[in-house]
Amino acid sequence: MSRENVVDQLTQIFREVFDDDTIVLKDDMTADDVDGWDSLTHLRLIMQVEKVFDIKFSTNQLKSFGSAGDLISLIKEKKEE
Amino acid sequence: MSNELVHKFITTELSDYTSILNLSSKIVKSWNATSAAKKIAVIGTSSLQMIVMTLKAMLICEGYDIDFYEGEYSGLKMDIFDPSSRLYEFNPEIIIMIPDIHDIVVWPELLCEKDEVIRCADEEVAAFNQMFETIHSTLPNTHIFCTNLTGPPEEAMGNLGGASIFSKHNYLSVINLDLAYKNPDYVTIVDVNRLACEIGFNHWFDPSAYVMSKQGFSLSWIGYFCYLLKLQIMALTGKTRKCLVLDLDNTLWGGTVGDLGYENIILDPNDPEGEAYLTFQKYILELKSRGVLVAVCSKNDEEVAKKPFELNQYMKLKLDDISCFVANWQDKVSNIRQIAESLNIGIDSMVFFDDNPTERALVEKFLPEVLVIDVPEDVAEYTRTLDRVHAFDWLQITKEDLNRTSTYVSNKKREELRLSYSDYSEYLKQLKMRAKFELVKDSSINRFVQLLNKSNQFNLVTNRYSEAAINELRNNEKYCLYTVSLSDCYSDYGIISCVVTEFDGNICKIRDWCMSCRVLNKGVETFILKKMIDLCVDRGITRIDGEYKRTDKNKLVEKLYNKLGFEEDGFSSDFYKLYHLRKERYFEVNTENYIKEV
Repeated sequence: MSRENVVDQLTQIFREVFDDDTIVLKDDMTADDVDGWDSLTHLRLIMQVEKVFDIKFSTNQLKSFGSAGDLISLIKEKKEE
Repeated sequence: MSNELVHKFITTELSDYTSILNLSSKIVKSWNATSAAKKIAVIGTSSLQMIVMTLKAMLICEGYDIDFYEGEYSGLKMDIFDPSSRLYEFNPEIIIMIPDIHDIVVWPELLCEKDEVIRCADEEVAAFNQMFETIHSTLPNTHIFCTNLTGPPEEAMGNLGGASIFSKHNYLSVINLDLAYKNPDYVTIVDVNRLACEIGFNHWFDPSAYVMSKQGFSLSWIGYFCYLLKLQIMALTGKTRKCLVLDLDNTLWGGTVGDLGYENIILDPNDPEGEAYLTFQKYILELKSRGVLVAVCSKNDEEVAKKPFELNQYMKLKLDDISCFVANWQDKVSNIRQIAESLNIGIDSMVFFDDNPTERALVEKFLPEVLVIDVPEDVAEYTRTLDRVHAFDWLQITKEDLNRTSTYVSNKKREELRLSYSDYSEYLKQLKMRAKFELVKDSSINRFVQLLNKSNQFNLVTNRYSEAAINELRNNEKYCLYTVSLSDCYSDYGIISCVVTEFDGNICKIRDWCMSCRVLNKGVETFILKKMIDLCVDRGITRIDGEYKRTDKNKLVEKLYNKLGFEEDGFSSDFYKLYHLRKERYFEVNTENYIKEV
């Protein structure tokens, strides 16, 4: 799965979870940059990513990621396993 | 709230958890509770945020005006035992308690005896009861729903966990059993443990979700979990289903009886499909014996359709089990309306089970209030599909429920008797009715609450009460709560009417009055009025007041007080009418009836 592909699908997920069709992903984007990114939406974000990409993150991966870029790399890593 | 959003939400499968959560979030965001909103508190030990959000969205989409309180994290005891907690400040009508195994303080010691395990469980359940009582002493009108316990996720004793009385696994079962058995009236246990078992524990509990964000169960099941809770709240507020409407061909048996004949339909237990149909019939019989009305709605000639019930040797269901049998070539929408009318129940209390997707779609479109079961292709899945929908999740089952279906069957005999008399009052005399008008008793509280909350058509004011609220009124000497039970030569109806009266000086106000529609047109109303007048004469009451509040469903009794001879107050409106009956006219009004008091 190409990075571009991951970014496309992830953008869709972000837009749905945060209910904002204008979101454009940037690698250094964190919770501070997105309106409504709190613990609750974070959880929904992870659940939707896991469902759409058909992957399951480990607890270790979940607790360490902080930016959209981290998430993109994690997804790519998981899909290549 | 946009209708489109509501429609999208209610048509989303419970298993589609990401859509459920996304839509719930949107719905909750665009919702503003009014000051009249029903207040619901959710308190518990694990994370509650997603539960509150989803349940709230579900109830909003059912048309509820609600306001929620979300308990402190891990704060069950904090919320309950601190008299100045935000829980009490919120003053909820309903509390949903979601404890989990982390609330268990003492586990039985290894190798201890059965008595010790029981003693331990008793103590644990006493702690639960203490929580219930503490809430109840501060919020006496609040109803509590408490989920039972699931788990444990692991059992270090391996197979011995199932084989030893002192294991965690068996200990939790004992506690759940105790909870089911010992809870007070104002508490309803919600069987989440069964849901977890249906799903399977490896899927139900997600260890990572627990350590990451303290989810008591995997959020993949949030839809199912909240659905169970939603049904309980609906049942408490009078929204329950009462009647299962069944198709015949390829629903109760395989093949078309019109083509195959009653002896050749697929129903032989030696045939795998035949056995599956029989299993489904057995399940329907179980529903019937717990008080669900069973009706038939089939496109067939009536005579042909009835043949299997009368003559097929394998049929489990008999004609006597069917409260209303409609077989003709009309559309099913009209037929379902007719069934509702003849059973005197609302369309919204019906559940429709038909293997034909076209019929289902029609009913769904034209009778959206009916719960239409999404029948699977494989007959072997019928029973499970119907079971999992929890279509008949009532708060309690009473003696009257168990007799209900037999009274509908006796109705047919009554109808025959009625037709044999040209004079209606002569027919009423022949029914040899006997009734009892008395103060509500401990043993009849359940039924009292159920009837007040389930009656829609003959219900003058349609106040809904929790059991706790009724007990509160009962302990207040200003109020008297009466039940009326009725029997006739065919059957014992049990308690069929409830009256809540409020005494204030020389005035008696009928605050609530409801009656089961099964006993309409039998003179029970005039019998009750007679009893009320006798009572008021004894107590020196000079005026009886009544009121009528219009709802979507109680047009039936709009003129009841007028017919009984009450005077209508000048300032009544269409929606709200006030009536009174003065002492001078007590003996002028018509209280003629053919009911003997016992």
